[in-house]
Amino acid sequence: MRRITKGIAALASVTLAFSIAACGGDKKEESTEAAKVDPASLSAELTWWDTSDAKNEGPAFKELISKFNQTYPNVKINYQSVPFGDAQNKFKTAAAAKTGAPDILRAEVAWVPEFASLGYLYALDGSELLADEADYLEAPLASNKFDGKTYGVPQVTDSLALLYNKELVEKAGVTVPKTWAELKTAAQTIKSKTGTDGLYVNAAGYFTLPFMYGEGGDVVDTASKKITVNSEQNVAGLKIAKDLIDSGASVKPSATDSYGTMMTLFKEKKVAFIINGPWEVNNIKTAPAFGGVENLGIAPVPAGSAKAAAPIGGHNYVIWSGVPQEKAPAAVEFVKFLNSAESQALLAEKLGLLPTRKSAYEVDAVKNNAVVSAFKPVAEAAASRPWIPEGGQFFGPLDQMATEVLIQNKDPKASLDAVAEKYKAEVVPAYSAS
Amino acid sequence: MTTVTADPAPSGAGLLPKLRRSWDKHWSAWAMVVPVVLVMAVLIFYPLINGVWISFTDQTEANQLAEICTKSITGGEVCKENPNAWSFVGFDNYVNILTGKIGEFWLWAGNTLVWTIAGVTFHYGLGLGLAVMLHRQIRFRGLYRVLLVLPWAVPAFISAFAWKFLFNERLGLVNSLLNAVGIDSVAWFSERWSALLVAILTNIWLGVPFMMVALLGGLQSIPEELYESAEIDGASAWQRFRAITLPGLRPVSMTVILLGTIWTFNMFPIIFLVTEGQPAGQTEILVTGAFRAAFEGIRNYSLASTYGVLILSILLIFSVFYRRVLRKQGEVW
Amino acid sequence: MTQMATSAPVTPAAAVPVSPAPLNRPRRGRRSVGMSVLLHGTLIVASLIAIGPIAWVVLSSFKPGYAVQSTEITLVKDPTLANYEYVLFETSFPTWFLNSVIVAALTMLIGIFCSATTGYALSRFNFPGRRPLMMVFLVTQMFPVAILIVPIYTIMATLGLINTLPALVIAYLTIAVPFCAWMLKGYFDSIPTSLDEAASLDGCGPFRTFYRVILPLARPAIAVTGFYTFLTAWGEVAYASAFMQTDDKFTLAYGLQQFVPQFNAQWEYLTAAAVLVTIPAGIVFLFAQKHLVSGLTAGGTKG
Repeated sequence: MRRITKGIAALASVTLAFSIAACGGDKKEESTEAAKVDPASLSAELTWWDTSDAKNEGPAFKELISKFNQTYPNVKINYQSVPFGDAQNKFKTAAAAKTGAPDILRAEVAWVPEFASLGYLYALDGSELLADEADYLEAPLASNKFDGKTYGVPQVTDSLALLYNKELVEKAGVTVPKTWAELKTAAQTIKSKTGTDGLYVNAAGYFTLPFMYGEGGDVVDTASKKITVNSEQNVAGLKIAKDLIDSGASVKPSATDSYGTMMTLFKEKKVAFIINGPWEVNNIKTAPAFGGVENLGIAPVPAGSAKAAAPIGGHNYVIWSGVPQEKAPAAVEFVKFLNSAESQALLAEKLGLLPTRKSAYEVDAVKNNAVVSAFKPVAEAAASRPWIPEGGQFFGPLDQMATEVLIQNKDPKASLDAVAEKYKAEVVPAYSAS
Repeated sequence: MTTVTADPAPSGAGLLPKLRRSWDKHWSAWAMVVPVVLVMAVLIFYPLINGVWISFTDQTEANQLAEICTKSITGGEVCKENPNAWSFVGFDNYVNILTGKIGEFWLWAGNTLVWTIAGVTFHYGLGLGLAVMLHRQIRFRGLYRVLLVLPWAVPAFISAFAWKFLFNERLGLVNSLLNAVGIDSVAWFSERWSALLVAILTNIWLGVPFMMVALLGGLQSIPEELYESAEIDGASAWQRFRAITLPGLRPVSMTVILLGTIWTFNMFPIIFLVTEGQPAGQTEILVTGAFRAAFEGIRNYSLASTYGVLILSILLIFSVFYRRVLRKQGEVW
Repeated sequence: MTQMATSAPVTPAAAVPVSPAPLNRPRRGRRSVGMSVLLHGTLIVASLIAIGPIAWVVLSSFKPGYAVQSTEITLVKDPTLANYEYVLFETSFPTWFLNSVIVAALTMLIGIFCSATTGYALSRFNFPGRRPLMMVFLVTQMFPVAILIVPIYTIMATLGLINTLPALVIAYLTIAVPFCAWMLKGYFDSIPTSLDEAASLDGCGPFRTFYRVILPLARPAIAVTGFYTFLTAWGEVAYASAFMQTDDKFTLAYGLQQFVPQFNAQWEYLTAAAVLVTIPAGIVFLFAQKHLVSGLTAGGTKG
């Protein structure tokens, strides 16, 4: 660990595949680096709004900043933790008023096309940040692209997976399900053999996507500008989800705090299977009743009749377009450092964040990290979402639909038709209804 | 003003002398209100009037600028004309909202009505009852007062969570108490009315302390002597309450009911946090519905303003009506 | 409490119409035992309802994170002070606290001053613009705050007030002053105008009359509006979240949001912080409620 991080500053700008191999504590770091820019000559004050968990993730980012300052002593970073919940509105309000927005922001994937379309972000094409574009996993990078330009670099990626309680699964003698049908029987077996509930399906829009993707559906088709949310496939997918609940395989979800209830039950071994993302691993790990990470099984989401897929999520680093041009080089250096393979490896090791760089997965510390390697195939198989400025607005209507279908027992087709109508009227009026 | 100076007011009722007389007479009153009026004008009225204007356009965050510029980090800036710049659309927004083409105005308005009437009625009724009790000289009065005011002092979003938690379907205290006496768990947030009930209970709990304190303040202005002489005249407690307390509280009651109605109508956090609009948006009130419709994703300023103007209009009509009722009873403002 | 009241500033008015009352004047009518039981019973039940959910907050603040929401409902589980330790010593809580105190105190002082003068003018002078002004105050409360935030931000940015405490004080005043002015107007209405007239005969101008005669009599209403203003500033989140941008400028209510990351709000810290936020508000009320005594008779005793 120490060996790797020692060379971070220097390695950041070297071609990555090469640098990892060379990362043996050798001494060539200064010579390769100094040739380009003298780090000490860069002087600026940058503000960074970090939207990560201030308590559990903040310290690791602060550590990265102090490492950055070892190489760039004259770039002062004002680290500001901003609550995730209001960061989007806060940034937009400030950026629209052209005052008070941060130089650098950690933006959720759906925000980037939106901010970019409003002219709030710098296009990064041609800068060093994208010099090694090929090293990024394609899907996470895609969320940064809008209208032919790239507006950010992916910090972390995530997707939904099937999380399970190994102890309960073994006790009931079921195998880890690969399809929704298998999940249904597995959950029912667990219920009958152990008395514990088998599954909790979270009644929220985002969490219904794996069911729709599984049948080959999606919410919109951006290429042909069509609203496809009420397609046959999606109806079929939702019927599967509804059947899981109706058949008793899944606990009936509650209308509010469905997510929290799901996690509480899972952490206290009151339910065997849930569908959730890597961000919960730390939380599960530290729950005293669960039995540690050893008891946590991670598998790709079960497949439907077409495929197994879950929506991609994550966060990107973006630079506000209001940053004066003279500060831009410092901002680029800082983001480059934050998102180097070494930094990503450090974050993967400390926080379990899934790297977005192929080379980061080659680092031993990442390779040997059980959670990260369990999630790696999940992340690689993640389905891209429609990266259009309106992307964030798809979920409000989907959430309503999820409640209607999974809790209020309404007909999936009718609910999805209503969602499609709402998309047409309020979200993407230019799209055609199917 | 300078235009009138040329003419020395031949009729004797010219504007300037009139103004001067008015100024001489009222300068002190004006001086007392001017700072407040200035701040209000800049911070509230300017945005408000602007909001009324925007409600007749189709401005959103995306189309409000005539051109959108993309700066490149390597230098240079490309500006493109906004392909769909905003335009004046007349009453389109109002028509869309009121006909239900966008959002669910009537559902939300219905919820708002129930929410406001229930909230204000219980706030005032319970607040008044407690204030009257706490006005009397009783033991532990200070303690009761402090305990009863606490719900107001806890940050609202924390207590909203506490209430939501109490009514959690699976893990909440209320359902486990019901189970303990042999009643099945209730899925509080799966039905419109039970979800709204929880939200209203939360709001009553939160709002009673304010009414109580305000009315307690009002009770102090009723001279004790009135009660004493009424008692000598043999009036019963109820008669004293009707004949002295209620009329004596009139100015305060009038104010707190009026403002309480306005605030409850626009009370954002409780619905937003406790029911989250669940089930499926059926417990949304106008403000929360408008917020979700206009501020999630690309902000739709024109839609937000239209909702704002509609809310404002409803409340204006209410207060004019309210004033008329009061005036019939001899109260003027 | 009665003693407190009598220490009110001496009013210059000679003719106070309210009859003087002796210090410990006897209570009218004695309560029967049954009545007492009923009264205390009701108040106890009401107090229990009032503090019930708060008790949950307090109890949670002593639990470790995993025990706050659980399938088992427990009053106490693995009690710990770690949450308070974290909130007090490892976050910027002290700074936020100081900011909140400054903002709330300033809002309270300026708010009371502005609304008292305005309320007095509305109550005593029939000046042109009086009625519209009262209506205008109402209108300011009618437009939803959520919609006003963006334009107000732009105005604050133009004035260079973003990320400064005055921005919050000003914004909170726009919430508090209209209500307080209305409230105080109602209260001033109940103070006989003969007092003003007497003061004016004594040679007091309108401002002197206001400060020396009327204001001291209005203490209960001032206490109520003062407390209201204080709490408005103490607990507000929406404006604070839009206008404040660095940790050293956050107020308590907004600072607490840092315990709400994207997933899994940290309820153990939120509840601990909530307790720490509520205590000062309770203390302020303790002071305010001492002034909830009859201002009229109290002033009258010195007449």
